[in-house]
Parts: sequence; structure tokens; C-alpha cells
Amino acid sequence: MSQKNTSPTDKHSQPGLAGSLPRREFVWQMGLGFAGVALSSLLARDGFFARHAFADEVASLNPLAPKKPHFPARAKACIFLTMNGAPSQVDTFDYKPELEKYAGKQLPADKDYINSGGRKVGYLTPAWRKFRPGGESGLLVSDYFPNVRQHADKLCVLKSCHTDSHAHGSALVALNTGKTLIGRPSLGSWAVYGLGTENESLPGYVVMLDKRGGPISGQPNWASGFMPATYAGTLFRPVGDPILDLRGPRHMTQPAQREQLDLLARLNQRHLEQRPGGRELAARINSYELAYRMQAATPEAVDLTQETQQTLEMYGVGKTPTDEYGRNCLIARRLVERGVRFVQLYSGGGHLEETWDAHESIEKNHGRHAAEVDRPIAALLTDLEQRGLLDETLVVWGGEFGRMPFSEGKDAPGRNHNPYGFSMWFAGGGVRGGTTYGETDEFGFEATVDKVHLHDLHATMLYLMGLDHELLTYFHQGRDESLTDVGGRVIDRIVA
Amino acid sequence: MRTYTLLICVLFTPLAGPSHAAGPQDADALAYFEQHIRPVLIARCYSCHSERDDAREGGLLLDRRAGWVEGGERGPAIVAGDPDASLLIQAMKYADSDLQMPPDKPLSADVVRKFEHWVRIGAPDPRDGQAVPAGDDPSDPIAGRTHWAFQPLATGTLPEVTAPDWSRSSIDRYVLARLEATQLFPAPEADRTTLARRIYIQLTGLPPTAGQVEEFLSDDRADAYERLVDQLLASPQFGERWGRHWLDLARYSDSNGLDENFLFREAWRYRNWVLRAVNSDLPYDRFLLEQLAGDLLPYDSVAERDRQRIAAGFLVLGPKVLLGNDPQKQRMEVADEQLDTMGRAVLGQTLGCARCHDHKFDPIPTADYYALAGIFTSTEVMEGRYMLGQQRVMERLVGLGADGEQADDAYESYWRDRPQLQERQNRAKAALEHLQKDEEEAFQKLSNEHADATAESARDASLDKAIRLEAQQKLVDEVTARLDNPPAIPPRAMVPTDRAEPADEFIRLAGQFDRQGAQVPRGVLQVVGDQRPQISPGKSGRVELGRWLTDVEHGAGRLAARVLANRIWHHMIGRGLVRTVDNFGRTGEPPSHPELLDYLAVRLIESNWSVKSLIREIALSRTFTMSSRDDEAGRAVDPENALLWRAHRRRLAPEVLRDTMLQAAGELDLTPMDSSVWYLGDQATAVGDNKNRRRTDFPCRSVYLPVIRNDLPELFDVFDFANPHATTGSRPQTMVATQGLYLLNDDSVMAAAEATARRVLAEADEARVNRMFERILSASATPDERDQMLSFIAQMRQRLKEGNDAEAELHAWTMACQALFASSRFQILE
Repeated sequence: MSQKNTSPTDKHSQPGLAGSLPRREFVWQMGLGFAGVALSSLLARDGFFARHAFADEVASLNPLAPKKPHFPARAKACIFLTMNGAPSQVDTFDYKPELEKYAGKQLPADKDYINSGGRKVGYLTPAWRKFRPGGESGLLVSDYFPNVRQHADKLCVLKSCHTDSHAHGSALVALNTGKTLIGRPSLGSWAVYGLGTENESLPGYVVMLDKRGGPISGQPNWASGFMPATYAGTLFRPVGDPILDLRGPRHMTQPAQREQLDLLARLNQRHLEQRPGGRELAARINSYELAYRMQAATPEAVDLTQETQQTLEMYGVGKTPTDEYGRNCLIARRLVERGVRFVQLYSGGGHLEETWDAHESIEKNHGRHAAEVDRPIAALLTDLEQRGLLDETLVVWGGEFGRMPFSEGKDAPGRNHNPYGFSMWFAGGGVRGGTTYGETDEFGFEATVDKVHLHDLHATMLYLMGLDHELLTYFHQGRDESLTDVGGRVIDRIVA
Repeated sequence: MRTYTLLICVLFTPLAGPSHAAGPQDADALAYFEQHIRPVLIARCYSCHSERDDAREGGLLLDRRAGWVEGGERGPAIVAGDPDASLLIQAMKYADSDLQMPPDKPLSADVVRKFEHWVRIGAPDPRDGQAVPAGDDPSDPIAGRTHWAFQPLATGTLPEVTAPDWSRSSIDRYVLARLEATQLFPAPEADRTTLARRIYIQLTGLPPTAGQVEEFLSDDRADAYERLVDQLLASPQFGERWGRHWLDLARYSDSNGLDENFLFREAWRYRNWVLRAVNSDLPYDRFLLEQLAGDLLPYDSVAERDRQRIAAGFLVLGPKVLLGNDPQKQRMEVADEQLDTMGRAVLGQTLGCARCHDHKFDPIPTADYYALAGIFTSTEVMEGRYMLGQQRVMERLVGLGADGEQADDAYESYWRDRPQLQERQNRAKAALEHLQKDEEEAFQKLSNEHADATAESARDASLDKAIRLEAQQKLVDEVTARLDNPPAIPPRAMVPTDRAEPADEFIRLAGQFDRQGAQVPRGVLQVVGDQRPQISPGKSGRVELGRWLTDVEHGAGRLAARVLANRIWHHMIGRGLVRTVDNFGRTGEPPSHPELLDYLAVRLIESNWSVKSLIREIALSRTFTMSSRDDEAGRAVDPENALLWRAHRRRLAPEVLRDTMLQAAGELDLTPMDSSVWYLGDQATAVGDNKNRRRTDFPCRSVYLPVIRNDLPELFDVFDFANPHATTGSRPQTMVATQGLYLLNDDSVMAAAEATARRVLAEADEARVNRMFERILSASATPDERDQMLSFIAQMRQRLKEGNDAEAELHAWTMACQALFASSRFQILE
């Protein structure tokens, strides 16, 4: 009763070596080569697992073993394209023709809001770039995202999002964990907690930051809060090995390490044989096996030399300004392909104009950042679709809040923070494409129709991944905690 | 089973579909009731309209649905769906001069609107059933006394067993009786080498050296083991192991964490106070009292005063939201954090749950929460400071030593006055320049406006210019010297204090600081007993609270003893008798051996709360010394080993791993360490311009390494160290791949392996393998193991040589050492 968690469990989950899942098999052969197979076969030859009736128990010590969802999942994985700094909805995905009419006027006085940071309040300002219809649906997307627009029929734009904070740090924490206060598990942690991971050679939840820096509220955005650290996001570093301790010193060549691991396996097996029933001992052996595979699998997963020139070009790899986000998007596809459950890619890092925080100028700021991500995101959608992965991968785009429909002063081309109404979009993963959900008022200032709170967004994301946000709970301090707390509703209208 | 039923009731009532017709009982509507209606009813209406308070003014009950449906003397109180026709709403609106409720003070317009909305949507109300008997309210503190954890301690007779010879102590009788009743057999005694390793690690966090094992094995006195236990209990390493257990509970940290991760430069004093208190076996009642109220206790010397003040740092160490927070709100949040930490660490109660509503499972009404909160909100842990030139609100600091206050004042005033000093320096320099350029008029003007900008002799125009220049230069130099030499940070500690005007707290509706309900006198938990400590006027009540916690007669002493005894058992045996060590409430697990738990609690109290005595008794029991061997019958009947048919196997804590590797490498320095964060700036994490990061390269024991919230050492992170943001009574024990990666590749493991290899290579050829095993595993290698190792090393040496590794010999041995570090035999305690 202590860890009375209602996370879905799977009694016959793979102990980690049988490799009956096709995806696992694929990784096995492609990624690991001789060394990984050698160690596992060493264990298999000795009938390591066959001899132990407690394979299930061993797996139960491993919190990342795959688990069955609550109901059939639309999406096996999620890629969350996080636009750090908050993009402007009225300049990107929420077309407001009325702003033309009201240009130069002030927002009506009865519209109540917090002036974040006490900045100058200017005049209603229409979109800085033109909106045009895309695809057969004619979904409107502005010229900041001409490439994404080509995928208009795949997008479901949620125009009526609203959130609980007007400050970047806490709003981003809320976007990631459901609450503005630090200390709760992030969305990716809940997903991995609920579903486990399908490829233990890789972390279940991967986060890639913008090279310019992390988000202002830092690590709590991908932390596991009150859950064990196992469920926390793993940061892939932008340079060198993606994660710590993947490699030993130079003299530790791969064959040398394999010999060492064989020695270790023999030591540990002998120890286990003298102590029958030692499931902790078996789990320890298993953890080295997985670690060894991770050493090979992780660099392999981020190795873009395996991609064709055509693919690299499509993502804009090697080109300014798309190289970085293009690489990250491509790595995200490779990770999802290899069974990683949740991948989060930040665009924008550090402070102010290095993020989407366009106080100075929408055109300059969004012009710069959109150019970095537009093509890579479009390529990701194309690529996922071509590989038949889009149906089972939920792609989510958005920032921690939106921006005001008015400027920050006369002739000032920037916009201030707006938590009252903003747009996010979903694609793939069982979502109805070419559609919109909810509306803001005529100014694009606040959500008015079918409002979507963060809890609703999270409930829907979990739903698409096969999890019921009310049943996915973690017992902590005498209470069944959930991502959506007492709120949240699944927006079923957008589900295909 | 009771727990289960309650959970179902509370969580799933709406889904269970109550039979009555009125009102949409869907989840949203009921959530609305729980959020907005129930708290107000409890806070403002129950005192006159509930069975709980034995009050039925006007014949009306508002503590159940049936109450308002039937109504009182004036008829039904609510007409579901029609607020205008509902007497309750009319009364709340103060519409009618002879029906105004609540009579003392109207509800806010906002609250009334919420009630109107609630009635309009059909007055959904889950408080179903015919007149609910008073005892069915889980938060009822009187009825709650029947819960096992609040019951008097049982002091029954020892159970009968059929194999009395097995028992070495009363503990064993309790354990064996349960095993016999289940027809299970206890494991045989662990062999003496295993036992030595177990007791060394459990009591000191370090394995024995090969020599120590040998000494123990060759000691054939009957009481050899007992002597060893006593020796380890008396060693300074004991406090470093067991003090850390308390630090886990005290959410000890060297930084604030959350979003403003300021350094706690002085927290280490509290850490070392804990280690020393544990080493000196400070009685637990005193140990708690000093942590809750050390700053308020009498003292005989400055040293004693300072020790007690440092202990009270316990209250100051919590993580706090520092930016953009209303001071009122911050006060409530700080109190909540303190309350929650104390509640779980000392009482095994989730008090925090009663902040927004009466506890849904445990006998803790919201009023009790705010009675306790009043004690903490009457306590100050924050203050305004000039920190390195910045003025900010931070943890309260007090100077230590006889002249501590003056030293702290001097330090503080330097930073407070620094801007003025800087201006003075600028002016003095400007004046000097005027002099140099013979701008007499400007010089005199400056001098007239700011007398302190010029030197006396410099002002005297009759003097020779050279003399004047020299005088002014001297002034500039003096001011500059003062500016450039801030006083050293004086010895200070994080210490709370009572507020100038301690006051009772108001219930905050739905836990929101700006929604005040009724005021409740400062006090304690009613479920524990009828007697409430008398809080002296003008005091926060922390001393009274501290005494109440361990007051066996009239306070929470029985509960605190059970919680502590269970924690000690948990650490010694590997699993608590109550497995949910921080939760003794109804959502926790009941004890597997209730009589044994009570026995241990009584022993604690009888020994005047001596932690060491209880540890000693457990260590000497046969239960502790059992082997961890498997047994098919045991596994079939009791796979979790709750009945203790064998010893639990445990993964080593990260501190033990690191310390042992350093010890094998011959690098561990057992000297206690003071601060390990002195080199850090005000920001504890390396962000932005701050490139300074906490270090882990000290050769000290791990307990002294920096604990920076949000930036734990990698080893701690990977091996399930306690989350320093919150009380952790039981660390998770995962076995995951990242641990494998760490052991196979991390530089620190490599370095320890290489250093160990160097030591081993310094030995004569034939002794090497044995030395390696002894250093790492405290035991010699068997001939088999020796052959296996030597063949691995030979093969590896050859491979490395072929790869042109100039240090092939060293590296081959390094890899062998590392494999032993990674081996189950090293990693897992039998």
C-alpha cells in the first residue's frame, strides 16, 4: 500500500534479454553490433534467465520495464517542440483580421490583465507577417512558418490555451509539470512512469536544450519531482557524448571493456549461484548488461552519418540557421524510431531575445527563431510520415504562454507576455489534422470558446498515449498525486 | 482493508452513483463542492450546525446532505437549483435582518456567489447516507484515537515459542513467534565474515579492513561480537552513518533549491551538530527539543547557547519560494514546510494534507493544522540582509561566540554602508584631482558640501601644495583600503527566533493565505489526547511543542517512540515493521509485528530515549545476525520477507560506495570536515555568469560533501540519495542502467580503481590478488578466484601491450579492481 500506484503494470514484461519485441530486435542488430550480442549471449548460453524462475521479479525491480497502457494508445511516443520564451499567437497560428481594423487603438478598458513586468502598454497591432491558407483544409498559418504550412492538413491548432503564470520561469514549469510551483514530475516523467520504455538501451525521456542555454527555471522542467530519479528527463548534451559516463578512458577499448564485463559477469554469476533466489543480484547483473548496451546505442542514436544526404538537406542540417534545430529534430526522429517514449526539443535558450521573448521586435525575434525551426519541423513531419511513424508519434508545438495583441508603446514593434490566450498545435498521434479547436476573442487577447487549460492539454496528451490522467497516479505523502491534479479533461473532439 | 474502503469512499463516491436523484453528482460538480463549499461549511457553519460540535442551532445540520434537505425549524435550507428560494443563500446574503448567517461576520461576496452557483447547479453534495455517525468522519480527532498508531503502547507478556533456544533477546521471541505461526523457519546465523561486514557497514558506513575481520575472527571470547558492536557504537564514524539518516529526514541541504538556489553558507554547522549529537547519544527528546526551540532554551555558557541555536537551524533549512511572493503568503508557506517536515519526520503524519480541508484519511481537522501553524508563523526564519552588496530577504543568521553579534553587525554594516563609502571614495578622488589641477574653487565647493571628502590638512589653503596633496592622497588611500577589504564573514549560524508579537493563526480557506476563516488558538493535535500544552503569552510555543512531541503521558510521546523505533529497525534490518516509515496514518501500512513495535518503543522510552541502546539491542538479536540465504518455503509463503525468515539484502548507499572505494584506494581522510561550500558564491548552482560549481573532489567522507538542491553529485543522483527538498525516511533502491554506466566509466571510479591498483602493485607478486580482494572485499581470494583474476589480468595486459599502452600492467590491474568494485559482492550487503 505504500507505493500504491495505479500505474499500469504488465506482469509478463520483458526481463530485458528475450528481445521478442520487433523494435528491440531491430535495435539489437543495427545498433549494438557484436559486443552487445556477445555479452547477452554469454548470459544466454549459461541459461542465466531460464534458470531463474524469478525473471518477473527481476523486472519488477526495474521501474522502466514496458507497461501496458490503460487503453489502446494512439501515440507510442511524443515529441514536444518547446518554444521557450513564448511565441506570439496572433503572428503565427491565430489569425485576427479585426486587428487590422483596430490597429493603433488600445485594448478596450474592460479587458482585465496583469501587465507582466510593468512594461509600456501600446496599441493593438496586426500580425507582422501575412497569414495564408495551407493544404486542403485551408488552415491559416502565417509567413513565419511557410514550411510548416505545407503540413496544414496534419495540424490541429488549439487556439484557446491559457495558463496560470505570466512569468517565464514558472509558466514553463507549469507547461511541463502542470503547476507553477517547482517540485512535481514533468510530463515526460509521467509518460515513462506510466508506460515504461520500449528500448532500455536508451533513456526513456530525452531533453535537448538550445545551445544558447537552458530555460530560466532549469532542471525542474524535466525533473521527476516526488518520483524516483529514474523517471527524470536525461539531457542530451549538444556536443561530445550525449550523456555522461558513456565512455571510459582511452585504454578502455571496446574489446577490453567487453573482457572486463565478461569477468564481471562471471564474478557476479558465481556470487548469485551461491545465493539462489537473489533477485537483487540478478537485477544488478541486468543493469550492467543494459549499461553496456546503452554505451553503444546512445552514440549510435545520435550518429547522423547514417542518414542520407537528402534527409540531411531536408532538415537543413549543415545550413545556417537551421543546422542546430535540424539536427535535434532528426535525432528526435531517430530516438522515437528506437523506442524512446518522450523527446523534448527546446528552441530558444538563455535570456530575452535569445528566446522567443519578443519584447523588442516581433519581426526581428520571431523572424530569427522561426527561420531556425520552420524547416526542421516541416522536415520532421514529412520524415515521420514517410516512415509511417507519424500515426504513432504525437508531435506538439508551443510555448509557455502567448503574447499581447498590442505593442509595448507607440511604434514599438514588440509584444508583452500573455497567459490569457495562446495557440499550441498537435500533429500525428491520432489527432484530426487540418482542424482548429477553441477561439480567442476578436483581438486574440483571451481564450473565450472551448478554453484549454494546461491540465486539459496534459490530459489529452496522456490520453493519446494511452493513459487516463485520472488513473495515472503516484502515491506521495498520503495522497494520490496526478499530473492534472483535480482538473483536466480530455479534448476528445480533436481525436481522430 | 479499512484504508481501502476509505479510499474508495472518498475518491470514487461520485462514480459509485449514489441513489438519490437530485443534483448532478458528476466529478466536476463534486470537485466544486470540495473546493469551494465544504471548507466554508466546516470553517464557518459546523460550530453551530454539526454533530461533530454537538450543535444543531435552529434544528439545522449542515454536516450532511440530509441536513439541509430536511432543514431546521424554518424548513429546508436549500432548494437545489434555485438559490433565490434557498434560505441558506438568503441568510448568507444578510438579506433579511432576522436571518443573517454566519452571525459573527458575513461571508465575502465571492464566497456567497460560489454558494449561489453551487445551489444553481443542483447543490451536489457527496456527504451521503442517513445521519452519518460522528465516528465516520475520518478527520474526527476523537474517533481517530482508535487508529493503532495513537493507541497506548502494549506491554504484554512475551509470546510463547516452541524453540526458545533460538532467541537471544525478546526481539527474537516476537519474530520467532510469527514465523512459527506461519510454519516458517528462520535462516541460520550468518557466517562471521559476513556478519562483520554487515555490522561495520550498518553502524559506521564503512566495511571492515581485512585486518579488522581477522581480528574479529580470531577473537574467541564469548562476547567478541558484543565487544565489536560496542566498539563501533563508540567510534566517531557511527555518527557519520546514523547522523545522515536524520539529515535525510531533516531535508538537510547547503542551498535553498527551488527557483532561487541561494547558498546556505552556514548550514554545515547544523549538519555537524547532528553528527555530534548522534555520536554523544543525546537523548531523542532533548535532540528534538533543541531542533525545535534551541534558540529559546536556557544555557550556562556561550558555547552551550551557540550549540542550541545551531540545532534550531532545523527549522530554517527548508526550501522556500523567494521571488515575487507576498510576505504573508511566504510566512504560511514556510510554516507549512516546517509543519510538514516535523509531522512526517517525528510523528509519521501527513499534516500538510489538512492545510486546505480536514484530512481525508487521518484524524486531523484543518483547525489542528492551523493550531500548529500558529506556532510556526509566530516564528521568524527570514530577515532582510545586505548580502554582498545586495539587499535581500534571506535565512536569518546569528553571530556565534561571545562577540558574535558585534562581529555580525560590523560585517553587515560594511555591506550596508558600502555604497556610501564608494561615493566618498569618488568624491575624495575628485577632490584630489581638483587639487592637482589647482581648481581651488571646485575643491572648496566639494569640501563644503561633503566634509568627509577632503582631508583636514588638504582643506588648509595656506599650506604648501605638496603637503595638501599628500594629505588628500592619504585620505583616498584610506578610503580605498577600507573599500577593498571587506571584513571576513564572521562565524554565524542559521537560527530562528520568536516574532515580536506571536499570534494565533486563522484558518485559511482552501489553504489560500488571503482567505481567512476562524482564528484557532495555538496548540497541538487533538487526536493525541485532551491535554493541550499551555503556551506562555508572548511566546511562539515552540518550547511547549518540543516537549509535547516526546511527552509520553500527555503528549505525542508514544507515537514519536513508535515512529523512531520503526526507523531504527528500518535502517538496521532493511525494512520497517511499518514499511511506510514516514506514514503512520490510515494510508500507511499497519505494522507487520505490532507487539514488537510497541516493545521497541517502550524500550526506547525506558532507556531515556537512547538511540544507541536500541541499536545495540537490535544488533545483538539473533534476528539481526541471521543469514540472507534463500528458502523455498519462505519465498512461497512470504516473498517479501515481511516475517523475517532471513536477512534482507540491501544495495549499498552512494555514501558507502564512495567512501569504501576511497578507502580501498588508501585515499579516504577520516577527519571531519566543516564547510565544503566555502568557495561558492551566493548562487549555489552554476548558471549564467556564475561558473562556480560545487566540488566533490574532497577526500572526506561523503556525509560532508555539498548537498546542493537541484545539483546533487552525480553519484548521489544515480544511486538514489535522499531528495533534499523533502523528508526522506526510506530511500528508493533501484537497480538501473545508469548505475552500471557510472561504475563502468565514471572518472571517480576509474581513479579509485587505479589508486587501488597502484597500492596492490607495490606488493610482492604472489600477494597481489589477495591484497586486492582484501582491500576491496575485506576477504582473501579463494584459489579459484585467484586463478580467474590472474588469467584475466594476463590476457588484458597482453591486449593493452598490443595496443601500445605503456602502462599496460597498471591498467590491467586497474580494470580488475574496477570489476571488483562493480561486483555484486561489493555492491550488495548480505
